[in-house]
Amino acid sequence: MRLLVASLRKLIRRPATFITLGLLVGLMALIFLAVGATANQQTSAAAREASLLLVTFPGAYAFIISFIIGLGGLFAVIYAAAIAGSEWTWGTLKAAVARGESRSRYQLLSLTAIALVLGLGMLIAVAIGVVVALIGAGLAGVSTSGLTDSTTLGQLPELLGRGWFALVEEGVLGFAIATLARSQLAGVGVGIAVYFGEQFATIFLADIVQYLPFHAADAIVATGGDSSGFGGGGGPQLVQLDPNSAILVVGAWLVVGLIVTALFTERADISG
Amino acid sequence: MTHLPQADLALATRGLEKKYGSRVALAGLDLSIPSGVVYGFLGPNGAGKTTTMRLLTGLIHPDAGTIDLLGRPFGRGDRRRLYDVGALIESPSFYPYLSGRENLRSLAATGSLTSDRRVNELLELVGLAERARDKVQTYSLGMKQRLGIAAALLSDPRLLLLDEPANGLDPAGIVAMRETLRHLASTGKTVVVSSHVLGEVQLLADVVGIIAAGRLVREGPMDQLLEGEGVVRVRVAPSELESATRVLTALPGDGAVTAAPGEEGWLSIRMEAGRSAEVNRALAVAGIYASGLETGSDLESLFLSLTAGAQTESHEGTFFGLAGSSAPPTAGPTEWHDGGSAT
Repeated sequence: MRLLVASLRKLIRRPATFITLGLLVGLMALIFLAVGATANQQTSAAAREASLLLVTFPGAYAFIISFIIGLGGLFAVIYAAAIAGSEWTWGTLKAAVARGESRSRYQLLSLTAIALVLGLGMLIAVAIGVVVALIGAGLAGVSTSGLTDSTTLGQLPELLGRGWFALVEEGVLGFAIATLARSQLAGVGVGIAVYFGEQFATIFLADIVQYLPFHAADAIVATGGDSSGFGGGGGPQLVQLDPNSAILVVGAWLVVGLIVTALFTERADISG
Repeated sequence: MTHLPQADLALATRGLEKKYGSRVALAGLDLSIPSGVVYGFLGPNGAGKTTTMRLLTGLIHPDAGTIDLLGRPFGRGDRRRLYDVGALIESPSFYPYLSGRENLRSLAATGSLTSDRRVNELLELVGLAERARDKVQTYSLGMKQRLGIAAALLSDPRLLLLDEPANGLDPAGIVAMRETLRHLASTGKTVVVSSHVLGEVQLLADVVGIIAAGRLVREGPMDQLLEGEGVVRVRVAPSELESATRVLTALPGDGAVTAAPGEEGWLSIRMEAGRSAEVNRALAVAGIYASGLETGSDLESLFLSLTAGAQTESHEGTFFGLAGSSAPPTAGPTEWHDGGSAT
């Protein structure tokens, strides 16, 4: 327990935690405010309607969560990779192991702390997202009566739970990649490359890509319509897993990430 | 070299081997480190000192050989044995964005249970109490090193492994560290210090082990090892250095008499200290008059005689001084005349 608390304390003090969250909510706020301010200036009725939908509740909830899982998924990869990589680069894993700490326990508790911080960050981002969507709605002159739509609010906890699960899977993969790379810079670089590599893979692996970790993570919170998340919009039309199947696939990737992390850390020569 | 009974040893390695790819880092290392001493662990660059430290703390695993840690075998599944070991390996390892105190508290959450009170005591001990709230990224090299020593002492270990502990410390810090380590040894703890600062090791260590090319080449109590390792230093006019060197290398008698020209007209001659008068007489006969004469025992000359050529074997290279030639020395290394700080 003390190791988990110490890991959480380290993450809360880490500038990257706030920079990552700040970037995510900053971009989201920018989109909502820009859409709210310009929606009524659209000359095409269809474009105006589409813009207004973004800031109209309860539909705005889906966009907020989709945005957080989409772009937030990439940020989760980078964030977790930076944390795992720095343990090797700074030699802090070395110091813990030399004190007799279990390698896999140390890593898995670090991951648990990351998962908790991701959950907290997601809730904060959603809350801020709702506020900026309301401001956007105000700017666009759209009614906010859908904010308290009971059906949507009833589904929200499950949707948030699924979204958190997806973010954790993406974080675990970033962590595993950086652990294999044993470097902060290499871990972040490879993590980003893998994320975008999967997006590019849609061109030539259209049938398989639905089972890949980031697409499955997007599918986990799909609510119908365009559920390709932040990264997938505008690409080729994809076959996507249904949300419940996606949970299984995401769970499988998460377990693979945990096993790779634990096994590699146990067996690795630690230097630096 | 003599092996002490296993029961009296804080640390023993037998036939320890480690390869990195095709490069041999350790080639059958046998160390015997008695309990309750300060042990100076010496070797040229690439000799295998850091590899040994990593093996002793479970960071890497040997290809062959055994390690006995505090009287019991130490293998892959024995991480809890490290609860009694403190280590500072290579450079101190900290989170730069956390304060000194927060770093120690984070580390204290790993391994054996360590209280906040212990963290505060250690911050006082290493003189960082006033800067304990500052982020480590604002610390100087010496402050990081002191924090690293505090981190190694967190679990009040019975065995302390320190890799270059004096690195970055100011003179007062070095003296304080030496006193602390001597005090720890006096309370029955074992301190293993790997260092290139041979003068510091000579002042600090009770027992010395010298390794070269992954093997132990000499081990034993400092005073015994330095017996017969006499050094006579003589100062002549710089213009007479060459002729003085010729005279001294031609001195008759037992044992190798080698002369190595040093700085500001000093010549070091490895020979029994009792023969210093003979040196003076030989120079006077040749019409060279010494302006200074010193005698003593020198760990540096023992180290250099035992590890000559090991630098090239290790493939890690070393620093060759500007004096003389740009080519590596062939008649014994002279690159350590600056005290080894250039490594």
